[in-house]
Amino acid sequence: MKAVIQYVLVGLMCLAASNVRAVEKITIQLDFTPDIEDGKTTFSVCARCHLPEAWGNADGTYPQLAGQHINVLMKQLLDIRNGTRQSSLMFPFVQQRTIGGYQELSNVVAYISTLPMNPDHAKGPWKEGTAEYNQGESIYQKNCSNCHGDNGEGNNERGYPKLQGQNFQYMSRQLGQIKSGLRVVHPAMQAVIQNLEFEQLDQAVNYASYFAVPKEDMAPSKTWRNPDFK
Amino acid sequence: MENKDKNRGKNKLSRRHFLKASMAAGTLSGITLPLQSAVAAEAATTDTADNKAALPFSIRKLLNEATLPAAKGPRVVVVGGGWSGLTMAKYLKIHNAAFDVVLIDKRPEFISFPASNSWLADQINLDFLTHSYIDAAKAHNYQFLNTTVLGFDRESKKVFTSNGYISYDYMVLAPGIEYDYNRIGVDDPESQMRLYNDYPGGFVNSSEVITIKRKLNTFKGGTFVLNVPNGEYRCTAAPYERACMAAAIFKKRRIKAKILLLDMNAEIRIKKRGFEKAFSSLYGDYISYLPSTEISGVDIDNKTISTDFDDYQFDDAIIYPPVRASSLLEDAGIANLKTRQKVASTDPYKYHVIGDEHVYVTGDSRSQPFSKGGHTANSEAQYVAEVIAAHALGKEVRWRSPQTMCFSAVDINPLKAMSIITFYKFNKKNMEFEFDSTHMMEDWNVEGGQASLAWAEGMYRDMFYK
Repeated sequence: MKAVIQYVLVGLMCLAASNVRAVEKITIQLDFTPDIEDGKTTFSVCARCHLPEAWGNADGTYPQLAGQHINVLMKQLLDIRNGTRQSSLMFPFVQQRTIGGYQELSNVVAYISTLPMNPDHAKGPWKEGTAEYNQGESIYQKNCSNCHGDNGEGNNERGYPKLQGQNFQYMSRQLGQIKSGLRVVHPAMQAVIQNLEFEQLDQAVNYASYFAVPKEDMAPSKTWRNPDFK
Repeated sequence: MENKDKNRGKNKLSRRHFLKASMAAGTLSGITLPLQSAVAAEAATTDTADNKAALPFSIRKLLNEATLPAAKGPRVVVVGGGWSGLTMAKYLKIHNAAFDVVLIDKRPEFISFPASNSWLADQINLDFLTHSYIDAAKAHNYQFLNTTVLGFDRESKKVFTSNGYISYDYMVLAPGIEYDYNRIGVDDPESQMRLYNDYPGGFVNSSEVITIKRKLNTFKGGTFVLNVPNGEYRCTAAPYERACMAAAIFKKRRIKAKILLLDMNAEIRIKKRGFEKAFSSLYGDYISYLPSTEISGVDIDNKTISTDFDDYQFDDAIIYPPVRASSLLEDAGIANLKTRQKVASTDPYKYHVIGDEHVYVTGDSRSQPFSKGGHTANSEAQYVAEVIAAHALGKEVRWRSPQTMCFSAVDINPLKAMSIITFYKFNKKNMEFEFDSTHMMEDWNVEGGQASLAWAEGMYRDMFYK
């Protein structure tokens, strides 16, 4: 397994002779081979809040991390590290001086990606067959499925989050924060959210919360406990 | 007491003014008598603005409005700049930018209790724990007023401070706790004061922690008593953690010292397995743990603690009495004195005082039995700020549980710690809140030590910085 970190530098070149400033974009790609064992050690710090299974919780304070695409996890860690994604509590945990460099970040996201998902994650209040569920389905298919996939599978290459297995409250609160300007995301995502009402956003994530998690990605039971932290 | 009344009927007794003045005075329960008589005396002779000059300076100030920029939106006064109040002030502004938020604390700067046990053993410095209210207010667009609250008039929605009164639309009371020495058999104020000064508990005022650090680092040897109170005291794990840090200091200093840890509870209240292992494997020569030790009195002159069974002699001590909600709740007329911790009667989900949806009680003086501590207060305040913002818009938000994340330092150089995380839920059968989704990580290690400091740093960042 390889974690690929791609990041963009916007170089600001000041030309001494004039006031003309040319902005250049530099893209650097770095390859790392993750060390899962080291990732496990690092994850023991994360697990104190995210818990050893990384399944998140029903009221949405913590997301399900297990099974998430590594590029999505990596992007979130880097966004929190540089302050793009505001999370005061997470901030000190993901700094160079605490967690380490890109290698260590790669190790821990690789470890998280090996964890099986919660077979009983928290779903939204409107079950299949309700008007709200159907509303949500059509909103989702129209606005979200292009990137997040017809079944919420996301896209690792492009860094689109997997929605399968994500707790309803977590998705609802994130969209609410994005709509209120409290969380900054990709402009395309931002635009979609601005065009929908809070109620419609809830219906869409309600629908997303019912996506089936592939059996091979799931833990055998909801009482499964991560044997690495027994 | 209102400015527009100032010039009314010179040299004439106005019944309305008299009533108003005495009503205002009556709400200031702590200083009721002198103030009431002073104001009544004033009103009885004359009723003029000049007459205020005849009053003692401090009282005149109290009858004026505190100097603050004019409120540009509904004013929310947050009383108490601890973990709850600081978080509250920030998130009120986030959830309703129109709010004019004023945070009040009598302390000029913030020194953190969480992580302070690691400071006792020199694992961090005081800079790590110390933060500026000015930075917090500036970063999060509210105003900080360094003043002491003297009383309340909920009728006219005023809070009285040593800088004058402030009118509020909403008020959040987060004044924290006070010691309740009566519950360890120390009843008279003089003994209580002596006990506090000689053997401070280290959970109310940061000077206590500074004193404790000096004690631990200069103790010459002998018996050092620490105790764990009963009831809902602040920071459930901290007294056990502190015993570990004290033992680590004595061990490092190579002094012949015995720590008697007198627990008023039947067993270690939290992280039992982890603490038991620490006491036996790291500090077997230093810590004697005595459960079910009900303290019934302290003889300060003879340095003796009496319990239901035995008496314990000590050379030095840290005495942490049981706690109660701040008496400011009494001053606000909302404390239920029949409850053991003298808490207010509030809505358990929405936190407002029963019958007054403009006054809220949060933090360690709350009436719900959630674990008293920094993380609980922070997560709770984020939710209650949303409740108040929604109330102002005629809306409601769904209840969500506070969260308790609690680290305990166990060993030093390098710092090693263990942790617990828990949520709460309401059990409808016995009508009580109980723990929910509790997860213990009782194997202490270096990663835990690092996490404990990163956690604290993250919390300070949330409360003080952008």
